[in-house]
Amino acid sequence: MKRVKPMSDQIDRLGKLLLVILPCIVVSACTTARVEDVRVTATGILDGEGVVIMARSYHLGNETEDKFIKCVGAALARGASALRVVPNSEFVDALFPWFEPRTAPSDTKGLPDLMARPGVAETIARKGVRYVIWLDGDTERVAGGGSLSCAAGPGGGGCFGFAWWTKDSKYDAAVWDLTALQSAGTVSTDVSGTSYLPAIVIPIPLIARTRAKACKGLADQLKSFIVTDEFA
Amino acid sequence: MQQSPRGCGNLTSNTLKAVLTAVFLTALGACSSQVTVNAPTIPDPLVEKIPISVAVKFPDEFEHFVHQENVIGKEKWTIDLGRSNTLLFTKLFEAMFDEFTVVDDSVDPRDLPIDAWIEPSIDAFEFSVPSQSQTPSFAVWIRYRIKIFDSEGNQFANWPISAYGKSLSTAMGGDNALRRAAVLAMRDAAALIIMQMDRATGISSLNRETLSSIAASPEPAMPEPALPEGAPEESQTTAAEDTTDETG
Repeated sequence: MKRVKPMSDQIDRLGKLLLVILPCIVVSACTTARVEDVRVTATGILDGEGVVIMARSYHLGNETEDKFIKCVGAALARGASALRVVPNSEFVDALFPWFEPRTAPSDTKGLPDLMARPGVAETIARKGVRYVIWLDGDTERVAGGGSLSCAAGPGGGGCFGFAWWTKDSKYDAAVWDLTALQSAGTVSTDVSGTSYLPAIVIPIPLIARTRAKACKGLADQLKSFIVTDEFA
Repeated sequence: MQQSPRGCGNLTSNTLKAVLTAVFLTALGACSSQVTVNAPTIPDPLVEKIPISVAVKFPDEFEHFVHQENVIGKEKWTIDLGRSNTLLFTKLFEAMFDEFTVVDDSVDPRDLPIDAWIEPSIDAFEFSVPSQSQTPSFAVWIRYRIKIFDSEGNQFANWPISAYGKSLSTAMGGDNALRRAAVLAMRDAAALIIMQMDRATGISSLNRETLSSIAASPEPAMPEPALPEGAPEESQTTAAEDTTDETG
């Protein structure tokens, strides 16, 4: 009679395996990040003033993900030096059609004409938007390799192999001051990292979260970029 | 050796599992998607009204536009725009013109006290899905055509516009992304119409009061009295069918 090993034995063995593999790979699954800013003019923000985060137009080939825009907005709105973030859709709808992908100004030279349009300056003032932050960039898979195969049958299934891939999250944020009608500067971030997926029966994904790190890095830098003493 | 009933049961069960798996995989390979676009959110536009009275005749396709397409080797997509085009253009023209009415086929607009009437239509609808474009995005193109007639029923302008919307696919599937791309394309058309309609067609020059004052003026008549100063030449070119440029 064939003896079936108790489930607890199998779980113990798997746990030991993970204990060996995980520390090795977690060390390797790190990311490298670079965040920098270029200031053009003095910034600052007063009580009641806020920011709105916009994506550069897809008419210009921009691919910035909605998820990233939401992430940056949420990160700006919480923690120390939190900013008041006006929801993007609310701002775009209130100023329809002047911030649609086709019609939004592509540079600050268009701002005076835009503000002169009927109702635009009043609506922006009513919304309390001081800065527009234009996001540009995306996350791309730049390299990858390895091999992983999975199989399933009536008796069960499993995977075996090893795969890896490298992602690069590169984003720029141009900050426009709607009071001064000029660019305040840009903040950019570039985060790259390699993810690993080893599999011995069970795949163990070790993901380098480059987009999440880019979001946090960019938001932190934007806060310090904008929240300075206006009269310093 | 006698096979136990339990063993037979296992065999049947395994066969059934295999058949069900095969059926499920076949169904996955030949699936179809139906996307319905209900009333899109078109906000009140921040725009100055054009001081003319217009009537609009919507074609039947505006009431229930359905586009079907088989993506080769993949799946069948059905996009139902429903009444969204009617709602879009109604909202748009209400905001753009001093006076605006919708008329049905039983009404001859020439009998109405209006300056112009407009007949929008859809020339073409296209879309792409990630498997076609090799990008993570769904894209929609809608080509509208706007014909403008003066109060006498003469065609004054024929303006084609191309609108484009793009949306990244989400983990929730392609339906939402395609729906959003279609709505963005409709908003794009609305933005384009607001920004360029008067410049491209010169519709504001059809104001009857302006026309009658020009006619009554002792000044020598202009060669093109219907066009105000600054009106673009496109209104002339767009009046010529199918020779227009693509402004979109």
